[in-house]
Amino acid sequence: MALTDPAFVAIQVLNAFQLASLLFLLSVGLSVVFGLMNFINLAHGTLYMVGAYVGYAVAQASGSFWLALVLAPVAVALLGAILHWLLLARLQAANPMKQVLATFGLIFMGLDAVRWVWGSQSHGLEAPAGLDGSVTLLGQTYPVYRLFVIAVGAAVAVGLYLVLERTRLGARVRAGVDDRDMAAALGIDIGRLFFGVFCLGCGLAGLAGVVAAPVLSVYPGMNMSVLVLALIVVVVGGPGSLSGAVIGSLLIALVQTFGQVFAPALASVAIYAAMAIVLLVRPGGLIPLKGRS
Amino acid sequence: MTPSLEARSLVKRFGALTVTDSLSIGFERGARHAVIGPNGAGKTTLFNLLAGALRPDAGQVLLEGEDVTAAGPDARARTGLSRSFQRNNPFPDMTVAENLETALAIAGGVGRVFWRGFGHYRSLAEKAREIAGSVGLNMVGDTIVRQLSYGMQRQLEIGLALAAAPKVLLLDEPTAGMSPEETEAMRHLIAGLPRSITVVLIEHDMDVVFGIADRITVLDQGRVLLTGAPEKVRDSAIVRERYMGSGG
Amino acid sequence: MTLRLVTLAVLIVAAGASWAFSGFFGKDLLTEIAILAIFAMSLDLLAGYTGMVSLGHAAFFGVGAYGMAAAGSLLGLGGLPAMAVAVAAAMALALIVGVFVVRLKGVFFIMITLAVGQMVHAWVFRSEALGGDDGMGGIIRPDLGTIGLVLDDPADFALFALVLAFLSFLALDLVARSPFGRLLTAIHQSESRARALGCPVERYKLGAYVIAAAFAGLAGALAAQRDYFVSPEFLTWTVSGEVLIVVIVGGMGSLLGPVIGAAVVTLLKHQLSDVTTYWMFFLGLFFVLVVMFADRGLYGALRRLKRRREAAT
Repeated sequence: MALTDPAFVAIQVLNAFQLASLLFLLSVGLSVVFGLMNFINLAHGTLYMVGAYVGYAVAQASGSFWLALVLAPVAVALLGAILHWLLLARLQAANPMKQVLATFGLIFMGLDAVRWVWGSQSHGLEAPAGLDGSVTLLGQTYPVYRLFVIAVGAAVAVGLYLVLERTRLGARVRAGVDDRDMAAALGIDIGRLFFGVFCLGCGLAGLAGVVAAPVLSVYPGMNMSVLVLALIVVVVGGPGSLSGAVIGSLLIALVQTFGQVFAPALASVAIYAAMAIVLLVRPGGLIPLKGRS
Repeated sequence: MTPSLEARSLVKRFGALTVTDSLSIGFERGARHAVIGPNGAGKTTLFNLLAGALRPDAGQVLLEGEDVTAAGPDARARTGLSRSFQRNNPFPDMTVAENLETALAIAGGVGRVFWRGFGHYRSLAEKAREIAGSVGLNMVGDTIVRQLSYGMQRQLEIGLALAAAPKVLLLDEPTAGMSPEETEAMRHLIAGLPRSITVVLIEHDMDVVFGIADRITVLDQGRVLLTGAPEKVRDSAIVRERYMGSGG
Repeated sequence: MTLRLVTLAVLIVAAGASWAFSGFFGKDLLTEIAILAIFAMSLDLLAGYTGMVSLGHAAFFGVGAYGMAAAGSLLGLGGLPAMAVAVAAAMALALIVGVFVVRLKGVFFIMITLAVGQMVHAWVFRSEALGGDDGMGGIIRPDLGTIGLVLDDPADFALFALVLAFLSFLALDLVARSPFGRLLTAIHQSESRARALGCPVERYKLGAYVIAAAFAGLAGALAAQRDYFVSPEFLTWTVSGEVLIVVIVGGMGSLLGPVIGAAVVTLLKHQLSDVTTYWMFFLGLFFVLVVMFADRGLYGALRRLKRRREAAT
């Protein structure tokens, strides 16, 4: 029934884009950091959750969604800097495995920390005035805020593209991802680059959290399903590349959204199947790193 | 006579760079065949293609006349191709004896036994002692490999490769980073290998090459520049001019 | 070697004494430790010996638990056959999943096992046949009347769990000491060397994965019996995470370390949950500190202590 209705399909595509936008914000930092240092931050979903809670708290206190939208990512980026200083910098000499495991412990800590401060119940965050209405598309009403979510993801993607492709800093990051040893030999300080990219990635996770808050509710445990989706995006897209994160996010969001509409029982399994197929056919992801497949 | 190991028109590209360029080479049974050439000539890539650690973009690898191009390194090892590594690559947290016993267990196909202790296989321990002796490691059998000197770890590389009872032995710069004394000992060790084994050797030390090899191939930019007896290579004008100026 | 025997003896005596002198609550705790010890030892074979650090081991624990429940209430099997079904189900899943995951290494392996764990959880959560998020009851404990045990009695069930933990240790220890186990260690230390010597690495990893799943399934089947009930909770990522914490805190690659870890973490959890509802925070903190400062775990610390005393004398 539904596939023949263009309006319905269009709405679902928009829903998929909205999810893709969130997944992109989450996975791009993870992905580039992984490309640089072979390190994956398992507490990335936790930072997303913290972003949502900080956003909620700021919006509650100030009454301004826009202030929350600015402050939450900054707060989470700061938290990322602290984590880097306390944990990752000290473990960098050791193998990346230790770093990954340490961030795993942080998931447990983050979950209870959030419960302690904000309680176990879920919270909602209102979309700001001007974005709380809906528009009519092909005869269907669609919330404006969801279009805003898509716009944020697209804007960040374009911004990152310009930085990566047009600036010296971006060139350094690309060189580091391509061949860390070579870049280091050319005098690029990989450690500092890692720090910068890591904090930016954390900030974007925080941004994803606060942007997602009005659409999804804010609750302890909102981090886990999202973390796994983001990991799948990194794996499917291939670590280290912006385009991989974009393509991976779109693919996973489409499979997830349409799966949930047409075969809800299979949907949750379908994305894992998508990942398994990509891993089998292209073990390095859709956009593999050069010489490191 | 079919060569022990043969490469036919091998091509390997990394991105835009063609590292192995339609390369054909044969290694005769029992030969002591050295592959030389400047850094970046594609020696190690050729080794990895021969051993199966890399897959070629085109061409074939034949082991004892059989096409093994599609076989992985483990399958090639099981049919008699053994290698050492350019960078020491032992099992670092095991003793020397355990390293060799493990290699023998893999080669002997007892690895799938999970229902009785390793100690049950006493013959492996004896064989391991024998190999340790043959590569000059009989005094350090119980030393953890991580604590071994670099030169001794290099000797273990050969021991591990020998434990697989190879028909063809690929040695990737066996004397790299060794002192003159250690190099001399290694030269003796390789020269003393049984003639039934085909030895293919990448080496930078020209004394070692000309002391061991009965056949030499010069690689340049992924191609064979020249193959022949040591005298012929030594006398070749192009080799003299390019590579032998300082080395020897 | 002797440290190993002494530790084993101490553990057996400690388990026996606490079983003999504890009350109802103590025996319940002992059962919990025994089950977690089996689960943790099974992960140690993967993570400690083979170097495959899995964050989805709860999948096999959960499948074992659900296998136990389904074999009893859907197929009408008795306790022991149901346990066999539980273990077989976990092994079957490991065989299917393993074919894919053993190709991946390190951080990629961590990610895919986490995803697989979440997938199994998501699937069970929505499965009507398995009760969805309500879970399943109707689990029966094996009938061991012939050897004089009434497993519905908490004391006898604790003994049953302890004996199974001991047998699991013996079995896994034998596997670790066998040529197969030696090759797993070899693969951990240098995969490329093992491969160059002729070892079909993926097949050995798959073997380790399936054996580990079997014992995780056994632990799951016991956990289902302990509660007479299973729910998707058995399959959550926190279960995978906790067992990895147990293995690392106890000391990887020793089998005895994870047993010590199981006891320490279980007792710690109970002490903490008396004091604070936020015990997960402190468990996570404890784990981060162990990873940062003592990655050989408690058994590794014992080993170092012994070596230092030997050096002193």
